[in-house]
Amino acid sequence: MKPADFPPPFRAPEYVAVPSDPEGERIEVGVLVVGAGPAGLACAIRLGRLLADAPEIRERLGEVPVAVLEKGKAAGSHLLSGAVVNPRALRRLFKGRKRIEEMPFFGPVAHESVYMLTQRRALRIPTPPTMQNDGNYVASLSQLGRWLASEAEAEGAMILAETAAEKLLVDGGRVRGVRTGDKGRGRHGEELGNSEPGSDIVARVTVLAEGTQGHLTGVALDRFGLHGENPQVWALGVKEVWKVAKPLDRVIHTMGWPLRPQARYREFGGSFIYPMGDDMVTLGMVVGLDYRDAGLSVHDLLQQLKTHPFVRRILEGGERIAWGAKTIPEGGFLSVPRQLHAPGLLICGDGAGLVNVPALKGIHYAIESGALAAEATFAALRRGETPWRPGALAGYDEALQQSFVWSDLQEVRNMRQAFGRGFWLGGALAGMMTASRGRFPPGNARTEPDSEQQILPAERTSSYPAPDGRLTFDKLSSVFLSGNKTRDDQPNHIVLRREVPRELAMLWENMCPAQVYEAVEHGVDVTPSNCVQCGAITAKGGRLTPPEGGSGPEYTLT
Amino acid sequence: MTSTLVFLEHHGDEILKGPLGVLSKSASLGDGEVNAVVTGSGVRALAGQAGAFGAARVYVADDAALEAPLSQPRVDVLARLVRDKGIETVLFANSVLAADVAAGLAARLEAGLNWDLTDIARENGKLVGKRPALQDSVYVDVGWKSEPRLALFRSGSFDPVASDGGSAQVEDVAVSLEDFSTAARMVERAHEESEGPSIEDADVVVAGGRGLGGPENFTLVEELAKALGGAVGATRAVVDAGWYPYSTQVGQTGKTVSPKLYIACGISGAIQHKVGMQASGVVVAINKDPNAPIFEFADLGVVGDVHQVVPKLTELVKQRKGG
Repeated sequence: MKPADFPPPFRAPEYVAVPSDPEGERIEVGVLVVGAGPAGLACAIRLGRLLADAPEIRERLGEVPVAVLEKGKAAGSHLLSGAVVNPRALRRLFKGRKRIEEMPFFGPVAHESVYMLTQRRALRIPTPPTMQNDGNYVASLSQLGRWLASEAEAEGAMILAETAAEKLLVDGGRVRGVRTGDKGRGRHGEELGNSEPGSDIVARVTVLAEGTQGHLTGVALDRFGLHGENPQVWALGVKEVWKVAKPLDRVIHTMGWPLRPQARYREFGGSFIYPMGDDMVTLGMVVGLDYRDAGLSVHDLLQQLKTHPFVRRILEGGERIAWGAKTIPEGGFLSVPRQLHAPGLLICGDGAGLVNVPALKGIHYAIESGALAAEATFAALRRGETPWRPGALAGYDEALQQSFVWSDLQEVRNMRQAFGRGFWLGGALAGMMTASRGRFPPGNARTEPDSEQQILPAERTSSYPAPDGRLTFDKLSSVFLSGNKTRDDQPNHIVLRREVPRELAMLWENMCPAQVYEAVEHGVDVTPSNCVQCGAITAKGGRLTPPEGGSGPEYTLT
Repeated sequence: MTSTLVFLEHHGDEILKGPLGVLSKSASLGDGEVNAVVTGSGVRALAGQAGAFGAARVYVADDAALEAPLSQPRVDVLARLVRDKGIETVLFANSVLAADVAAGLAARLEAGLNWDLTDIARENGKLVGKRPALQDSVYVDVGWKSEPRLALFRSGSFDPVASDGGSAQVEDVAVSLEDFSTAARMVERAHEESEGPSIEDADVVVAGGRGLGGPENFTLVEELAKALGGAVGATRAVVDAGWYPYSTQVGQTGKTVSPKLYIACGISGAIQHKVGMQASGVVVAINKDPNAPIFEFADLGVVGDVHQVVPKLTELVKQRKGG
């Protein structure tokens, strides 16, 4: 049995609409960016710069030349990453205007080590070439996002927070913008006293920068038939930030325990432990969602990891101060949509799957793709061009293919798939790929969707440590620390089948780091207000849609 | 010389504390004349109460048409006062009625209304409102671009401060209503009937969680609450499951309570619940799971089955009270 046997009652066409507000009541903006993350904000910043030198184009874009929609409470609220950032794309974005020292980084990576963990021991191994971080910087992506948002505002962009993009507005084959989600609806969709309908926001160009599991990105890929050669697959990352007693002097990655190397379990992943200045450490666990054990819980594997003597020592005398979870698109080059533009539409960042799994990097690709999307948009706004003419935005795909983003991703295109064959064989294949810069083995490896993996009976659940409230925690305490205080009586935003076999219900219950699902007799119970919108459910047989704007976690340090 | 008007709302024959607080705050700014307005039927006698809180003049709109707490007739009265008396600022203390009147007046006069203020000051000659933002983590300064300036203050922003001997001049104003303002009428007035005290005011709260096993077992909780003269609370999980109404939900996304005694029956004590009741005096937990987090912050813990413990406890309470 597999999750895909129970597909969610989700119909993408229901999220495509023609503008319905009367002409005078639509919100008209020049360029609409969906998502205030690194991709969307880089796009807004670059566009602001370009428009500053082209007042006649800016004039034509109206009162709001660039708007950025954000479903979180504020820019940064839904941003989470490791993160060790390659500053390459930021340097290009802020060329001559901002130095790295002015950006919100916790300093450059000074030392790094990779360890192979067994239950009791940590063996240092040579750092794989793909994972070297010389010249990179440690950051909180949430902080970086807030800073980028203020830079975007300084460039004239308007950021509309607490606003979910619910439907893609398409008229005559051309993307016209988005319809925002209703607010103030009750559990059964009824209008509450403070209800407020969504609005049509129309634009000349719409840039989808929604990040991992982008809701409208998925809808657009279906609507315009843009899916890539391989389906997208994801990993789930759960992380914590700790205030610590003693500084950590290096960036650490671990492989091995508590994950199992056998191919049949398909447990691909590892942990990261990064210093955030002298008094904070962030650590997280990332596991590919092609895993099979119905008992696997990344949240609890992270708790287990902390009980390892090697990790416990780092956290000793410390206190957990932040928590969060998010999925990472791991399909790589071959899962990138075959085209990243449609009439009036561009797709960038994680939503486009621009992630280098062996290097554990994606933020600089998001920024670069956002900047390139801005340049293509700007070119299409010039007099004599029509931005929604088919092909008017093709310059974006061309520029991306000429950029380092493309060559980086192409080189490692088969690496993630190799680990579907277990840790040891996968590791050996990855080594060959690195040595040959992606030429060997030749060809393109296939990927199966995460939801197509057979479910194995829950073997893991008994091995997780009991939460002690100091080192190890239960899921609800974690959700609390994410700042999530979503209104309980709003409609359920998670589309899935309620009546499912026990194994699948157990898989969901264990998978979810925020305790949204509970296996009950004949199926699953859902507590949507716990959801931190990580997106794992979409990979494993359900579908996440955006809840009311402003819901979900309020990350500040993740 | 500026002129300010404060909207006074009353229940029965008392003016509410909220608007009196706003009135005394406004008077304490010490610039210009602060006036107030009372609207209703048979309310002339109330006007005198306002003098002690700093009103120089109290306008009284006394008319049978103002009997029901409806907003539009009051908007008529206020709009006319603003026009006739050259009023520059109108202040409201938040309530269902005041919010409605404020919004209506803003629309009628095309005036700017600053909402949810917690303070007001005069800075460099300009009136500046303070409004909490981002879950009350920061305060932003807000102002007005034009007159009249309208402001609605959050409940409890100011305590009414009575000065000694202040007395207000009472002035009747004619009430003339627009046709559309009388289109709405009051059909019925009802009070929410609840047995015993409200959950926020109760000295004792008995709360039930999923450990009760089913909605029918909430009677155990209700009986204990009744015996103790307390109110009934519930956890999010049971409210979500439809066992008990949302109005009783205690926790992060429900009510925050601080009774002298909090009895948690079959509640595990997740942090989301804890933050809604941690200020309680004595916390008693009854739960069959000895590892439940609630035992970490309960003053008294009973490891046992709620279905057996709670009825016995109710019985004992009844005996003691009876005897």
